[in-house]
Amino acid sequence: MTKIFVSAVIDAPIEKVWARVRDFNNLPEWHPKFSRSHVEGGLASDRVGCVRNFDIAGGGGTIRERLLELSDVEHSFRYCILTSPLPVEGYVAQLTLYPVTVGDKTVGIWTAEFDVTNNDEAGVVNAVAKDTFGKAFEVLNGYFAR
Amino acid sequence: MIKVYRSAIINATADKVWKLVRDFNGLPKWHPAIATSEIEGGLPADRVGCVRRFTRKSDGGLLREQLLSLADDTRCLTYNILVSPMPVANYMAGMRFTPITMGGDTFAEWWAVFDVTSGPPQSTADDIGDNVFVAGFAAIGRLLAH
Repeated sequence: MTKIFVSAVIDAPIEKVWARVRDFNNLPEWHPKFSRSHVEGGLASDRVGCVRNFDIAGGGGTIRERLLELSDVEHSFRYCILTSPLPVEGYVAQLTLYPVTVGDKTVGIWTAEFDVTNNDEAGVVNAVAKDTFGKAFEVLNGYFAR
Repeated sequence: MIKVYRSAIINATADKVWKLVRDFNGLPKWHPAIATSEIEGGLPADRVGCVRRFTRKSDGGLLREQLLSLADDTRCLTYNILVSPMPVANYMAGMRFTPITMGGDTFAEWWAVFDVTSGPPQSTADDIGDNVFVAGFAAIGRLLAH
């Protein structure tokens, strides 16, 4: 089992950050690694159980992920991978935002657990931790830079 | 029942911060409002259930607090108040220190739930949040900042 833990400070109030990331169908809107997304079956993107179907930008393939949990109180959502070009199995990830009351900022914590099905664990960890989660926090912080 | 939550970014690693605050008998080492502390019965300060007996600098007021839980992997501890000069009852509190992997700082959280036994509840809550919790975070930052 491989575990990923990435956390960062985003210099914006939590409600603003949550409004940007809450939409499960909105990833390509704010994350440069991804393009095109739709929710299968035309379901609302905050309907727990819905499946988002989106592409890795630049022809990197299609990913399908199911929304497992969404909480506006905890500012958190959890999801699993159904189909992905990444060599992973049993992939479950969660993004949670926390308010930083001193300075009115946000802390984002993004975690994942999965098994790597080839022999390049380091490459997979890099793709998830750095290119996906780390990049996400970097662009969110840049978007809200004040 | 009123709830207080304060959080801040401390410019030191979570391991360094935790090493300092994990000592349930260590408040005088870092908290500017606390003068003396001892653990009753000579118990080790990381023995869950132990009671710290400490005094405030401002008026010598005595507090007794009992350690309810302590976890090194999540850098979290909880405690309740047995005796206090503050107008509170049924007071339970906790603190947690989480690494910010992007930058190496610490996300510090401190919360409490309690009843206020005299005076306006919100002003007691604000007093604890700002003068105990936030003042504590600031002092840790001054001691450890990298």
